[in-house]
This record gives sequence, C-alpha cells and structure tokens, in this order.
Amino acid sequence: MDSGNSKVLEAQRLYGRLETSIFARNFDSARAFLNQLKVKLTEFSGLPPLYRHTSTQVEELKLARSILEQAVLLSVGTEDQESFELHFLQLKPYYTDTRHLIPPSNFEYIMLGLNLLRLLVQNRIAEFHTELELLSPEALKNDCIKIVVELEQALMEGAYNHVLRSRKVPHDSYNYFINLLAKTVRDEIAGCSEKAYDFLTLDDAKTIFKFTRDQDLMTYISEEHPDWEIRNRCVYFQKVKDFSLCKEIPSLQLINQTLGYARELERIV
Amino acid sequence: MTVASTASGLLAMLQEQQPQLKKYALHNLNSLADSFWHEISASISTIESFYEDEYFEQRELAALVASKVFYYLGEHNDSLTYALGANSLFDVLEDSDYVRTLVAKCLDHYIALRKTREGEGATAIDPRLVAIVERMLDKCMQDRKYQQAIGMALDSQRLDKLQEAIRKSENVPGMLAYCFRLARTHVDKREFRQEVLRLIVNQHQGLHSPDYLTVCQCLMFLNDPQTVANILDKLIKGDKIEALLAYQIAFDLFENENQLFLLNVRDRLPEARAGSSSGGGENTETTEQNGMMDVSTSAEAATNVEDSQDNIYVDRMGKLKGILSGETPIHLTLQFLYSRNKSDLLILKTIKHSVETRNSVCHSATIYSNALMHAGTTVDTFLRDNLDWLSRATNWAKFSATAGLGVIHRGHLQQGRSLMAPYLPQDGGTGGGSPYSEGGALYALGLIHANHGEGIKSFLLESLRKTNNEVIQHGACLGLGLAALGTADDEIYEDIKHVLYTDSAIAGEAAGIAMGLLMVGSASDKAGEMLTYAHDTQHEKIIRGLALGIALVVYGREEEADTLIEQMTRDQDPILRYGGMYALALAYRGTSNNSAIRRLLHFAVSDVSDDVRRAAVLALGFVLCSDPTQTPKIVSLLSESYNAHVRYGAAMAVGISCAGTASSEAISLLEPLTSDAVDFVRQGALMAMAMVLMQATEAREPHVAVFRRQLDKIVSDKHEDTMSKMGAILAYGILDAGGRNVTISLQSRTGHDRVMAVVGMAVFTQFWYWYPLTYFVSLSFAPTAFIGLNHELRMPKFDIISDAKPALFAYPAPTAPPSVNVNIKLPTAVLSTSGRSKSKAKKDTDAKTKAEKQPDTSSQMDESSSGKEAAKDGSEAMEVDSAVEKKAVNPEATSEVLSNPARVIPLQEKYVRFPEGCRYAPVKRTPAGFVMLRDLEPSEPVELVSTDSPASPAPAGGANGAPAAAPIPMGGVDLEPAPPEPFVYVP
Repeated sequence: MDSGNSKVLEAQRLYGRLETSIFARNFDSARAFLNQLKVKLTEFSGLPPLYRHTSTQVEELKLARSILEQAVLLSVGTEDQESFELHFLQLKPYYTDTRHLIPPSNFEYIMLGLNLLRLLVQNRIAEFHTELELLSPEALKNDCIKIVVELEQALMEGAYNHVLRSRKVPHDSYNYFINLLAKTVRDEIAGCSEKAYDFLTLDDAKTIFKFTRDQDLMTYISEEHPDWEIRNRCVYFQKVKDFSLCKEIPSLQLINQTLGYARELERIV
Repeated sequence: MTVASTASGLLAMLQEQQPQLKKYALHNLNSLADSFWHEISASISTIESFYEDEYFEQRELAALVASKVFYYLGEHNDSLTYALGANSLFDVLEDSDYVRTLVAKCLDHYIALRKTREGEGATAIDPRLVAIVERMLDKCMQDRKYQQAIGMALDSQRLDKLQEAIRKSENVPGMLAYCFRLARTHVDKREFRQEVLRLIVNQHQGLHSPDYLTVCQCLMFLNDPQTVANILDKLIKGDKIEALLAYQIAFDLFENENQLFLLNVRDRLPEARAGSSSGGGENTETTEQNGMMDVSTSAEAATNVEDSQDNIYVDRMGKLKGILSGETPIHLTLQFLYSRNKSDLLILKTIKHSVETRNSVCHSATIYSNALMHAGTTVDTFLRDNLDWLSRATNWAKFSATAGLGVIHRGHLQQGRSLMAPYLPQDGGTGGGSPYSEGGALYALGLIHANHGEGIKSFLLESLRKTNNEVIQHGACLGLGLAALGTADDEIYEDIKHVLYTDSAIAGEAAGIAMGLLMVGSASDKAGEMLTYAHDTQHEKIIRGLALGIALVVYGREEEADTLIEQMTRDQDPILRYGGMYALALAYRGTSNNSAIRRLLHFAVSDVSDDVRRAAVLALGFVLCSDPTQTPKIVSLLSESYNAHVRYGAAMAVGISCAGTASSEAISLLEPLTSDAVDFVRQGALMAMAMVLMQATEAREPHVAVFRRQLDKIVSDKHEDTMSKMGAILAYGILDAGGRNVTISLQSRTGHDRVMAVVGMAVFTQFWYWYPLTYFVSLSFAPTAFIGLNHELRMPKFDIISDAKPALFAYPAPTAPPSVNVNIKLPTAVLSTSGRSKSKAKKDTDAKTKAEKQPDTSSQMDESSSGKEAAKDGSEAMEVDSAVEKKAVNPEATSEVLSNPARVIPLQEKYVRFPEGCRYAPVKRTPAGFVMLRDLEPSEPVELVSTDSPASPAPAGGANGAPAAAPIPMGGVDLEPAPPEPFVYVP
C-alpha cells in the first residue's frame, strides 16, 4: 500500500512539473517529463486494461487521465498529429470505461471535440461518424462538440464560406486544427476552380478563396499551386484534358482461355 | 467488474519509443488477444516487425501475440511459424482452442516433413517443431493416452517414441495388437512398415507370454522364415495348448498363400526323429518344467517322460509340416467343398439348351461356367452326362474343356495326376491325343496344384522339355507357372525362358505369364530381362504376356516398383503401358495408396489407347480392394464415361474390390451398366455383378433375384449379342461358384492380401484377350468354411451358433422342381439323423417281416448310396445335424445351429459364436477358416465328424470304377485343324 501510495505521490509531483512546462510552452522539458510519467504509469495496476481494485486505484486513474490529457495538449502544442492520435487512443478508455470509478474530467469534452476535429482535418469521415455515434446526447449539446459537428455539416454541404468564417473556439488548442481546416477548404475550392474555370480575375479569386489581401492570395498560389499562371491580373488554371482511351478488349486471350476450358472439360471423363 | 472495451490504447502504446512501454503493451495484448484480435490484426505488421527485430528483448512475446492473431484470422501456417518463434512461451499444455489447433497443425506439419524426408535428402527439421511434437508425445504418455501416442508416433515415423509408448503402457499386448493393426492399415510406406513390424516382434519377444499368432503374422510380412520356424518348433515342444497354437499359426500362415514362405518355414524346421539331438536338448527343458511342477519326480519317471515326449514331438512335427506344405488344409477344404456341394445342375442344363450349339463362344462359356460352379468339388457329373455335347469342343475349346477338369478337381492333390492321366502327353510325345487336350491337361494339373506344386513341378517341367508343340508348351508353361507360383525357381525359369526365346506367339504368351507367376513379388531383376525381350519381339501376344509377367514380378513391392512402373507407363508401346497399369495395380494391391490412385486416374482419362484406359480403371479395383466402400465412389464418374472401355473397366473394378460384399452402392453402380448399349460393357457388368452378389441371399439383398432373372433372360434371348451372352453364362458360373461354398476374397481374414487370389484375379481379367485364362478366377475363390480341428487335426463333432436369421445366409433355393434337383444325389442329405431314423424305421419294418440280420445290412447299404460312413464308422453315432435340415425345421428362427464343419460366409462371421458350455474352446477369436480347438473335457471320448472323402471312387466316377478308366472324351478324335487357328478374338 505504502509503496503504491508513494509511487502515486511521486508521479503526482512529476505531473505538476509537466503541467507547468506545458503551460510555459516549454515543450522539450514537457516531453521528457511525459516520457518518465508514462513509464511510471505501467507500474500502476489499477489502470486499463487490468483495472485491479487497489487502494490507490482512484488516484491512479485520475492521475493517469490527467497525464494523458496533458499529453494530448502537448501534441497539439507541438503540432504533432501522430502523437495526438497515440495519446488520445490511450486516453479514451478513461472516458468510456471508468465512469463508475472516477468523476468525469473537465477536459473530457474538449478532448473529444479535439479528436473529432482532428478526424475531420485528416478527412477520416467514417471514423468521425463512428466516434460521433458513440457520444451521449449531453455531449452533443456541449459547445466543444457542437462546433465540430457544425463544421462537418458545413463542409459536407460545401458551405465553405461558413467554414472559413467561424473563428470562435472553445479552447485555444482548437486553433491549430481550425487553421488546418481552413487550408483544407481552400484546397477544395482550388480543386473545384481548376475544373470549373479556365481563368479567374485576381479579384474574383480573392473572393472565392476568402482572402482579404492580394498578398495572401499570391503567397497561397506560389506555395500550393505553382502551376497556375498569373497574367493580366488573371489566374490561368492548367487543365488536365487527356482522356485515357478505352482499353482494348483482350479478345485473343479470352478465346484461348475458352478453348482451354473446353479441352479440359473434354478430358474430364 | 470493469473490462476493457478496446485494445486501441495498448496498440497505440506499441508506437511509443520506450521499450518498457512496448513490453507493457505486448504483455497486455497477449492476454487480451482472445477478445481483441480483430483490433490487433490491424497493427499486426508492427508486432511482426518487433519479432523480426533481433535486438528487441521481447521478440518471443511478440511472436506469441502475432501467432494468436493469425490463428484467429485463420492463417494457420503463419500462426504456426510464429508459435514456433515464441519458443517456450508457447505452452502446449494450455487448454485452449488456440493451442489445441496449433498443436494439431504442428503435428500435421511434422508428419508431412517426416514423410518427405528421404526425397530431399534429410533436410533438417526445425528443432523447435520437434520439441513441440515430443512434448505432446510425452504428455500423451503421461496422461496414459497410449493409443494416441502410438498413432502419433506411427504417423510421424518415430520408432523410438513408438517403442517408448508401447513399453510404458500397462497393457503391452493390447497396445502391440493395436499397433499391428495400424501398421497394416495406415502405414503406407512399405519400408517403414517393415521397421514397425520388426519393432513389434522385438517387443513381443520381450513379453512373458507373447501373442505368437501376431508375431508370426509380422514375421511373414518381414519374410523371416527362420524365426517362425524357431517359434513353431518351440511351441510344439511345449504342452498340448501350445501345440494347438502352433497348428493354428500354421493354418493362419497357410491362409495367406505365400508358397515360398511356407516352404521356407517348413524346410527350416528341424528333422523330427526320435532321440535326435535337437529333441534331446528340448527334453532337458521339459524335464525341468516337470521338475518344477512335481519336485518329487524321480529320474526314472523323467526318462519315461522323455521317451513319450519324443514320440509326441515327432508326431506333432509331422502334422505341422503337413499343414505348412498345404496338404492338410487343402485336403480338409476339398472334403468340405465336396460334402457341401450345392451346385444346381438345372441352371447349367438350361444354359446348355438355350445356347446355340454352333456358337462356339457360348459353348465354351458354358464349359467354363460349369468348371467354375464345381470348382474344387470334384463333381464332374455335368460333363459326364453330356459327352456328345462336350465333344463339339475342338481345338482351343478342347484345350479349355480339358483344363476345366483341373478347376473342378482343384486341390485333389493325391488323385490329380491319375485323373488327368488319360489326357496327358504320352511318353515320346507322339501319343494319339490331340495337342490341345494334352496342353489343356498340363494346364489342368497346374490348376489342381496351384500354389502347392511341390509334387507336380518336376513332371510338368519334364513335359515342357519333351515337347516342341506350341500348344502343349502353352499349357505346360501355364501349369508350371501355377504350380510353382512365387517360388522363384531358377531352373524352371530358365526352361520357360527357353520357350519364350523360340518366339512363338502362342507359347511365348504363356511363357511371359508363367515367368511372372514364378517370380511373383520377387522384384527380381529378371523383370528387366523380360522388358528387353518385350521390346525385341514382334508378337503382340508375347508382349502382352511379358507385360503382365512384369506386373506380377513387382507384386506388392509398392514404392520399390516405381522405377519399373514409370519405365513401363512411359513406353511407346500401348501394350507395355497396359502392363504398367497392372504393375501399378499389383504393386499397390489393397493399399489404397493415394499416389497410385492418382496415377491410375490420370491414365484412365488421358491415355490414347483404349486398352490402357480400361486397364487403368480396372486396376483401381485392385488398389482399393482392402476398402470396398471406396471403389464405387471413386469410379462412379468413370462408369458414366462416354468411352465404353472405361465403363467396362469401372464395372470390373467394382466387381474386383467389392466381390462378395453385396454392397448396395456397388449394385446400384453396376445395374445400369448391365443394360449398357455396348455388348462388352454388359459382359463386364454382368460378371462384376456376379462377383459382388456371390453368396448373397434374397433375404439380405433382394437384387439377387432380379439379377438371376436378368441372367436367365439374356441367356435365353436369341437376339442378345454373343458377348453379353457369354458374360451372363460366366456370371452364372461365378455367382454359384464352388458349389455355392466359396466367395472371391482378395484378402485373408487376418487382413493380409492373398497372393494367389490377387494374382489369379489379375490374370483372369486377361480373358478379354485369351479365354482359357478365365480359369484363373478359381484361384481367388476362398471356401467360406468354419472348420474346427482338435489336436489330432481331426474334426470333432460339435455345434456353433449363428445369431442371425437363417434365411440371411442360406443357400439359394434350387431352381427347379425337386424331381430334377440334383441335390438329392449328394451324400450330404444322408448324413443326418433322418438318414439314421429312416434306416431305423426301415429296419423295424423289415424286422417284422423278415429275418433280422441280413436285411439290416442290405438296407444300410442301399441307404447310403455313396457307401461309406455306414460301413466304416459302424457303431459310431452319426448325429450330424446338417445346417440345411435345421433350417427346414425352424424357418423363422433368429438363430441357427451350425455343426462343424460349417459354411460361414464372411458377412456371417460376426454373428457366429461358440455356445456356452461347449466342450471345445477356440484358440483364436475369429470363428472362420481353420480353427484349432482346445478340448475342455479331454477325458471324454471324442466324437469325430465322419468325412466324405472325394477320393476315388468319386460319386459320378463311381459307376465306372476308377476315374482313369472312364476319361471324358474331349472332342473325340481331333482332326488335324486347318489353319488359320480359330483364335478367340474380342473386338
């Protein structure tokens, strides 16, 4: 018991330092603390998937949850989507399986919302909806979630201006993904424009791409679509025109095959 | 209770940097794999990479997790690979589906590897795999599941483990018996089988009281006559029961028909002479035993014992040799077949009347049919009654008519020579007889002495040397081949080879076959010589004879024959390929070997020659003869082939392998073929059907009646094709063969193949080209007899019980009103209480009217028309209850009493038992064949069954005195035939 307690206390101390580092945006030291903490967590038997009932289980669970929440935030801070996913997957059981053991966390909806947003950004729509279905009705009413759901609907409808316009976020960490989303939307618009127009005037393009300044548009074009030409204050799109011809029917091969079958059949008695 | 709802967290952890985390994750995944394998399977590549990373300390754990996931995904091979990678972490003792499946997989894999080990030159088997298998074997033994362990050891060809399992089990004899059965039925590699048998023998010899019956069977498979001789010698030096056992062993060995082996055993037995040195050595032993039993035995008593012991030993040795040389069993069989003959002459009469006399094919077929019906019964009434009709046989028909006598008198060893004397070539070779009957007579002698030709060999050889006539050479070659079956006698071989090199088509064909018969199963290099000559000669007949001969040489050699078979089946000449099919059939007879079946099926559908295809399908019958239920399934598709030859082959294959089984699948397969559009297919199907329905009764298989009606119709139908008519006539012969007391069985009761039967059947199928070879089918006839013998090798009188409705196994009813029925002529009916009571009644009435003594003897003489037992046995009671009579008294009974010797057909064997309180107890369990009996009340006087010996005068021949005096004139004076010879040609 004592050893369990002391371990928890030590971990809690480390956790305090992790939190402060993240708050101070000192990501390198935060990462170091986090790694130490994760190893410590493997020694707690009260955690998933074992869920052993020990005297310190509640403490352990709470602590582990907080650590992982911080880890997710840290990933957002370092703009590391991969590690975000890893940590969120580890965190998830604490939200789904431990409701009867520990009180819900303050960060729960923020985390869930963030994850949904990430899926949206990564265009993993199927998983997005799976996750959505798993949420309770209360969760859906929460602002953190609602904003993501609305964004998704807007995207699906093609109401891109709505997406680009929404800027009110429930938590700072959302900004990273929202920005990414905006870029995704612009890419979509660019793709459509390429198909739809031979060329656009710069002003029209600015409106369509929701840029406020010419400069932004120019940077965007030079970074993302260097193949576009800008002449006479117009943007010319390159067109992909060559249709691949219908493939020839492999008639000779088919005939050979059929004859082969016939011969085989003949031989079978 | 909180349970995890997903393993995604753990999977995510696998991506972490720190090894502790990975280890933690893997560890937990391992325990969760059973429920979350579907989630883990998405990340399986990560886990695999862990295993492949040689620096990762938890490689084995990773392998175990991967193995589990692959198992759930159904990828058992991958799963096995990883399980092996997991080394000790993979716990074979764990009780889960995963472990059980993988262990099974492991064993399969190991067995497959062990079986191919020779092919790839001893590729080392993964030691981890071996370790798992050995762990399993040890576990089996710990759990006392010895049968499983034995099975596994046999399958994986691990003799060391086999021995261990047998030795550790509590019931060693039982395990050895089990192992013996498995070795014979399931081990498909000859070499390994021999090793196993050797092991069984060794184990047996280590036992306190070995099961000598099994040991000797094993030794026969191993071809070790010396050890058998030693065992037999030891046994007959022992007490009465041991001597009985020795006789029983000898009878069982005899049933397997391996002439060479039997002779070898006999020759290795010591000479029995009173007071011989070997006897002396033995006597000290027995005295010691006696001393043990009775300490106070004086030296004098010991010498007395010695004397009597010596005499007993000599006596026993003589009896034993009599059995081994075949004299005793053949004599007993002959007695049985003669006394129980139930053949129905009316059938033959009907056939004779309905067949056009001008049609020589049907005429000969009737003669064949008669011979088969009376095979081994010595009853030649039909021939004697129809001498005029018989004389229409000329040339080769005369040859076969004469040879037919050999079939009828088969096993008549003592009288055979004198019976055939009138037809045999006279000294100087220029006797008045036609060469056809002379040749036929030599062939007949071969048939009489088939497989026991010690006495006749030299005479036949002499006849062969003396003649230059190719017909006589033909007969002599066949006769020699039969008599010296499987003896590999070099002298005879050279003489026959000499005949072959004369390059005469007729003599050469017989010579080819005879060489094969002589060398059956020897796999000698003579086969190469024969093959060379087959390439040299121009005569198709000779090539065919040689091809079959080569096939016979490789009889039973399984893999050993593969090179030769390959050589033959790749030959340009279709006749040699045809021989190759037979070589496959005979080399793999009764083994159900998969590779042989595959090869045969391949040829059956792909060869360009119809003959080869026919032979290939037919050969399936031989390969599958140990497992009759399989054949109809395998050939059912072929029986619907567009190619008539393939259909014919399918019919014969079913006939061969399902002979005597009356299996409904076989019947339903053959039935449509009996009304096929092509005549020779009908012929084959009719004969095959007859083989299948041998000894089947209407009560058991209603189709018998339908079939008999069909045969009737075909025989009497004027418009029927000759081919199918011939088939029907022969079918009659087969159906009622041997006086309805024999069946075709290619396997002995101990499950070993009967060499002579298989060989006979193989040569019989050549009747397609050469009708006289039809007689070879008589070699595969096995008497369905139960013959109980006491230590004197006499048949004591006692009853056994068959717990089945008598109608199920009865003789078929005679076809005609009793006035025409020939059965009344047979002496069997008289051998009964009725006979005695009748005579008594007569005696009583006589006594009233006349003086006492005179009429009494005369009436008895009248009564027993054959005039034997009444006079001979006199006072001995003759209450022989014939089975037939019992049935008549009690038709609705659910069981019947059979008296020794009894007709017990193979299907009936399981119903037969010894009644309680019976005076005799059998030495072996199966109540069929020759059974030695232990007398439980040795002090009581023994009642013996009076025997009708078919020795001369035979019932029919009796009227004429000695049979030699009244030879059946074969075709009268043979006018020198004008060429061309009337060859029997089958399209």
